Amino acid sequence: MNREEAEQYLYCAMSIGEQLLISGAEVGRVEDTICRICKAYGAERVDVFSITSSIVTTMYGEEFGACTQTRRVSGMANDLHKLDCLNQLSRKICALCPEPSEIKADLAEIINGPRYSFGMQLLIYGLVSGSFSVFFGGDWKDMAVSAVIGVLLKFLEAFVKKGAVNGLITALICSTAGGFLANLAVQAGLGNHVDLISIGNIMLFIPGLALTNALRDMFSGDTITGLIRFMESILLAVIIALGFAVSNFLF
Amino acid sequence: MQEIIQLFAAFLGSLGFAVLFNIRGEKLVFAALGGLLSWGVYLGAGYIDNNPYFCGFTASVLLTLYAECMARVHKTPVTVFLVSAAIPLIPGAGLYRAMSSLMERDWVRFSKESSYTLLFAASMSAGITFTTIIYRMIKRWSSRQTRI
Repeated sequence: MNREEAEQYLYCAMSIGEQLLISGAEVGRVEDTICRICKAYGAERVDVFSITSSIVTTMYGEEFGACTQTRRVSGMANDLHKLDCLNQLSRKICALCPEPSEIKADLAEIINGPRYSFGMQLLIYGLVSGSFSVFFGGDWKDMAVSAVIGVLLKFLEAFVKKGAVNGLITALICSTAGGFLANLAVQAGLGNHVDLISIGNIMLFIPGLALTNALRDMFSGDTITGLIRFMESILLAVIIALGFAVSNFLF
Repeated sequence: MQEIIQLFAAFLGSLGFAVLFNIRGEKLVFAALGGLLSWGVYLGAGYIDNNPYFCGFTASVLLTLYAECMARVHKTPVTVFLVSAAIPLIPGAGLYRAMSSLMERDWVRFSKESSYTLLFAASMSAGITFTTIIYRMIKRWSSRQTRI
């Protein structure tokens, strides 16, 4: 393997690592995957360092010397189907060692993989909101109102996201609107409890899972990643609480 | 009655989040069943000891075991089942209440809610990490046995 080939293979490994990180894999898995792929192609030593927003890899080999690449990774969304496909792809790469062009074709196919339609997502926002409203003790009226507000919030979220402002602003706008609609519904006599209606909508946006994962990262030794995720989730939670507080203040 | 409604809601909530996380096919059902299981264990552990942190720990231990087994059966990463099945347990409501009392400058409620949220999240992640490590140790040990 000469220098040029080594750089191409490393590029492919980095692309897979980047996609894994974006689709919600743990940092340990990303580091492990890149390491395994590089070793499958004959690197003697591989050093990978990854946090939520960056990956750095250096691989060493007799024939090509030291080869380093970095990636800046932005944005994260849980897409577990993509994660599953990427995992299978990296297993295949380690077993068969295909050409870079083949890897790139497979990767492009995974990136353009199937997603649930917008209509389905609308339905799911309603379902989740309604379920958690009942889960925390709401009655059937609260459930119905919460489900309707959930659907409306999905419309709003899609609209705000098109403007490509950052995630915190999107959360602020959605939570303010959610609190406003919940108050409005109770004033109109449609629902009974503002807090129980809101809680279903809050569960859609609140980073409870990110908080739990942050502590998990810290427990398993990725302290920096854990701290970054912890700060992100606290900040997002403050913003969401601010949104609901503003709308409650208005009424 | 309240418990049955909660279990049903936990199932639907996990199913919803599993769809939002883009899980496809029959894995969807198993991910949602994991949510049902985790909340069932949480409620069941409440009969042994009423301490919520103990219940959270027990539920996440069993939930991780379930996720590891399902990951083996379906040949997928553990995260796929773990993340969606943990949904009913995550202290989202506590996190929200902590931050909203911070906004209202209600320091007594803030310290109560934030310590609850952090401790609950910590006991959940302790349960998950603990089980993952034990599971990996057993797996490594058994594969070494077969090789010899």
